[in-house]
Amino acid sequence: MEGPFVASTAMRGRWIRGAAAAVALALVVTACGGGGDDGGDSGSADADAGEVTPGGKVVYGLEAETADGWCLPEAQLAISGIQVARTIYDTLTRPNADGEYEPWLASAVEPNEDFTQWTITVRDGVTFHDGTPLDATVVKNNLDAYRGAYPGRSPQLFIFTFSNIASVDVVDPMTVMVTTKVPWTAFDAYLYGSGRVGMMAQAQLDDPVNCADNLIGTGPFVFDEWVPNQRFVATKNPDYWATDAEGRQLPYLDEIEYRPIVEVAQRVNALDSGDINAMHTSDPLTISDLQAQDESGEISLTESIDFGEVTYLMLNSSKPPFDNIKARQALAFAFNFDDYNAIRGKGILTRATGPFAPGNVGNLDETDLPGFDLEEAQRLVEEYEQETGQPLSFSYTTTQAESTVADAQFWQQAAEDAGMEVEIITVDQSTQIDAALAGDFEAIAWRNHPGGDPDEQYNWWQTGSPVNFGRFDDPDISRLLDEGRSNPDDDARVGIYEDLNRRFGEEVYNIWNYYTIWSVATAPDVHGVLGEGPTSADPFPGLAVGIPPAYLWVEQ
Amino acid sequence: MPVLLRRFIHLVVVLFCVTLFVALLTSMLPGDPVNSIAGFAPEEQKEQIREQLGLDDPIPVQYGRWLSDFVTGDLGSYWTVTGDRPVVDRVKDALPVSIQLMVYAQVLALVVAIPLGVATAYRAGSRFDRGSNFTAFGLLALPNFALALILAYYVGVQLGWLPVTGYVAPSEDFVEHLRRMAMPAIALAVGQIAVYMRLLRSDMIATLQEDFITMAKSKGVSPRRVLWRHALRPSSLTLLTVAGLNVGTLIGSAVVIEVIFSLPGLGSLLYESITSRQYIAFQSLVAIIAVGYVMLNFLVDVLYAVLDPRIRHARA
Amino acid sequence: MPERDLDVAEMPSLTPVSTMEPVDLVRADGGVPLTGKKARQGKLGVIGWLSISWLALVTLAAILAPILPIDDPNQVTASIARQPPGTDGHIFGGDGLGRDLFSRIIWGGRSSLLIGTLSVLLGLVLGGLLGLVAGYFRGRADGVLTGGFDVLLSFPQLILALTLVTVFASGEGVTATRRTVVLILALGVVSIPVLGRITRANTLTWTQREFVLAARALGAKQREIMFREVLPNVLPAMFSIALLGVAVVIVAEGGLSLLGVGTQLPRPSWGNIIAEGRSELRDSPHIVIIPTIIIFLTVFALNYLGDVVRARFDVRESAL
Repeated sequence: MEGPFVASTAMRGRWIRGAAAAVALALVVTACGGGGDDGGDSGSADADAGEVTPGGKVVYGLEAETADGWCLPEAQLAISGIQVARTIYDTLTRPNADGEYEPWLASAVEPNEDFTQWTITVRDGVTFHDGTPLDATVVKNNLDAYRGAYPGRSPQLFIFTFSNIASVDVVDPMTVMVTTKVPWTAFDAYLYGSGRVGMMAQAQLDDPVNCADNLIGTGPFVFDEWVPNQRFVATKNPDYWATDAEGRQLPYLDEIEYRPIVEVAQRVNALDSGDINAMHTSDPLTISDLQAQDESGEISLTESIDFGEVTYLMLNSSKPPFDNIKARQALAFAFNFDDYNAIRGKGILTRATGPFAPGNVGNLDETDLPGFDLEEAQRLVEEYEQETGQPLSFSYTTTQAESTVADAQFWQQAAEDAGMEVEIITVDQSTQIDAALAGDFEAIAWRNHPGGDPDEQYNWWQTGSPVNFGRFDDPDISRLLDEGRSNPDDDARVGIYEDLNRRFGEEVYNIWNYYTIWSVATAPDVHGVLGEGPTSADPFPGLAVGIPPAYLWVEQ
Repeated sequence: MPVLLRRFIHLVVVLFCVTLFVALLTSMLPGDPVNSIAGFAPEEQKEQIREQLGLDDPIPVQYGRWLSDFVTGDLGSYWTVTGDRPVVDRVKDALPVSIQLMVYAQVLALVVAIPLGVATAYRAGSRFDRGSNFTAFGLLALPNFALALILAYYVGVQLGWLPVTGYVAPSEDFVEHLRRMAMPAIALAVGQIAVYMRLLRSDMIATLQEDFITMAKSKGVSPRRVLWRHALRPSSLTLLTVAGLNVGTLIGSAVVIEVIFSLPGLGSLLYESITSRQYIAFQSLVAIIAVGYVMLNFLVDVLYAVLDPRIRHARA
Repeated sequence: MPERDLDVAEMPSLTPVSTMEPVDLVRADGGVPLTGKKARQGKLGVIGWLSISWLALVTLAAILAPILPIDDPNQVTASIARQPPGTDGHIFGGDGLGRDLFSRIIWGGRSSLLIGTLSVLLGLVLGGLLGLVAGYFRGRADGVLTGGFDVLLSFPQLILALTLVTVFASGEGVTATRRTVVLILALGVVSIPVLGRITRANTLTWTQREFVLAARALGAKQREIMFREVLPNVLPAMFSIALLGVAVVIVAEGGLSLLGVGTQLPRPSWGNIIAEGRSELRDSPHIVIIPTIIIFLTVFALNYLGDVVRARFDVRESAL
């Protein structure tokens, strides 16, 4: 049986991504956002934690409930849902410390010469939580389900994500071959899918009614119970196939429980009072408070913007007012980032100039994204109104957590100073995702594009994609996306995605705000937040798609 | 007994009106109700829902359908893109939590209010009396949600004495259960203490002036016995009736308290259904609360009629 | 609610008790239990005058808000975000978004008091009218009206208000003004039965007095008697309850704000300032504590004065 530390065949030509990642790590270490101290080297906090002690339980506070459950091909998972998914399921690949994708549940993932065929070798000796074996057939069925070719499952988003797959075939009992329509250099990244593309057991896949809450995977924990909006409990998988770098059996914990606590202040209260012993947040104000608590030793904080995502205001370019570039520009000019940073971020935020965070391919220090210029904003608003004969008014959709509502009011005030009219609409997170899908918004507060391979962003921006929520139709961007997908030359790809970045800045389809800082705060006796990589002890340093729960441990 | 019959008819009428109002709630949503209920569904699903709910049917038909569903336990579903989740499942878990909260709040309020009410009645006019009354009055003026927030922060977080969020069932860990219910119950009870204390006090003062008390005193019965044995019982009738009725009224405040302390009761469900715009669930939850409240009032009414000789003889 | 036989002396009705019950204060004048003779004089005393002054101050500030030399309540100034009272000349400091808290509290008073007074006014007018009719004419009209009151009272008040606001003003396209209007209507509807019952109870008492019978005998029309003889005597009790009602509505709006259906942000109300400020309790508790104190003082003043009025005019409903 192959352990996870059999050397995997090197992925071709990824040195540039490695270099970029190294730069990213350096950036994090030296200058974490500028507003005070360096809030936590990714892994060093745990370096002196001592010897791992198995056993114990972690109660992890999440920012939202996943109301629709975990029928993975059909689910629309945000980070809270992804975190739970990573507990019960494994993905075929997983990123390593450099952001490259290595086989995880698969034992090998190999492309052919021109990236039109990918051969997936399924790992031997793995069983699902219901005892059924992991084999090529169930993997094929999963992949077919994701791409909408499996009876009984009707994905809405993944069907487009994987539309480049021409066929999935079982070559032998442990080998699957995926044939793509156009060369797909980053297909291994898609097998990770930010942690969403877990492998489900046949029973769950075929469940006509309860797929969403009948969770059966191969992951480190076995589903125990789910009381929506209260808790999601999973217990240790005694037959888990993975071990850590030193050969210890994973997972370390006996049990893990997730609690959705929408209000971040309550989540922090719960952590402080010991109700929970771990939580995540991306709210800058809270993170700045948590930094102080970390310094005084009350809690342990791990922060990261590595391979991070961007917080931004997504605009709907398919209908008024933001189908008019002047409106988009006006709003961007009206937004005073420095004030926002001071008030909502206590100065720790970094302005995002585009969708690629530092360290990611395509990142640029400067683009043409408009900065704060109130007069220019007012001028554009007047021009818009003259052109269209309509006042520039729009709705701002956001979740109802206090921090996002406060953001909404900041934007509203900024827009009104420029002469626009704004209505704030608050919904819960599931509804917000639905709103985006349906295009039922004008401006919506959003957070997305965690790093890895920039081709992973393809579906968010391609014309006609159901998850191009902003519904913009930009021939340049479409072309660049297609080029980036199939071009095997890393240098060329950097150029392609930088051009893409610039195009976004010119057209202002989204108003990028800041590079999201994700953080995980735990009680001081909880360790292993970042975990380890797929084939080495060095973990993937990003937090934007959750953490691998198998590596969490509690001092006994 | 004609009085009881009268009350019963009254109950039926009230129940009818209340359920009628609630049954029509979703059809009162502005615009196309289906857009509010399932805004992001594909058109075919909206059609399905429109048919299922029969929002275009005449009112008696809508009411009949809703009522027959309600009494058979079909409380509708939480609509989601991937399917339905029945409301009744969530309600089963949430109901005991809310009931516990309100019972604890009531018990706490009574345990504090009764001795205070007795003491202030006995020492009516004294500084103690005036001080207590003033404090009670002050407590009434404090909005209980603000009190809850401040309590939660200072007692829960700063001092760390009690947990601030979450719920533990009494069957799992009774002590932990009580610890988590403590602050919410206190926050709810504080306003009631003032009211109950005042009620009892004024009834006691009146009772203490009656002949049979004077007689007991002249017989040499100790003041404490007079107070607790003889005076308290007849004076407590109003208090207990009001306390019983108030459990229902507390529901309103309990919703806010549950949200603040993250207690998974009916109030939190109600709040969640509003924010996620699950109007069907909202409708069912309001129905449960309203019907429960009406039934409770009725029971207390009957109890009052049975216990209070004045009313029993009113029809004679 | 139990229908009582009308020729028996009015029993304490079993209206569910909320904080709309008139709460006895021991002494309105300083020294004697309210059940005594002196209390009936209902003198104001020091506290009474303080209460009136406070209410006058708050009301005046609310009315004059647009012309007062205070900051724009929505203006964001980064430097005062979360800063304590006294920063940079801002009396109450800044709120979580960098808006002047003092200004927001004054404008918040405008919202809260507007909602409070208008909804109670609605309840007074409609409830009072219906109660007057019910108590005066009795019989079937009374039966129907009281039944209507009972149905409305069958909902816990906050739940009914919450329901009405949710159904009519929580979707999209709801402006701050529309939300405020719906709040006023909803809270008004909720107060109608309470005011109706009390008016009815008082009317019942008064219509049995000799001067009414005399007026009837003299051939005066029903309507004249109702409005000229009975109403003036019923008004004081209504007024007392109205004062208490305003207090209850102000607090109720706060509760609704915490549930997300109060006055629409960014328009402030005392309630939604508290609701917004709760995430800042750790470092900036003044954002919650100051409006709490303001509400406390206002509710206290209203309750006190309501009690004084009641004591003065000797309404015998001790356990309404």
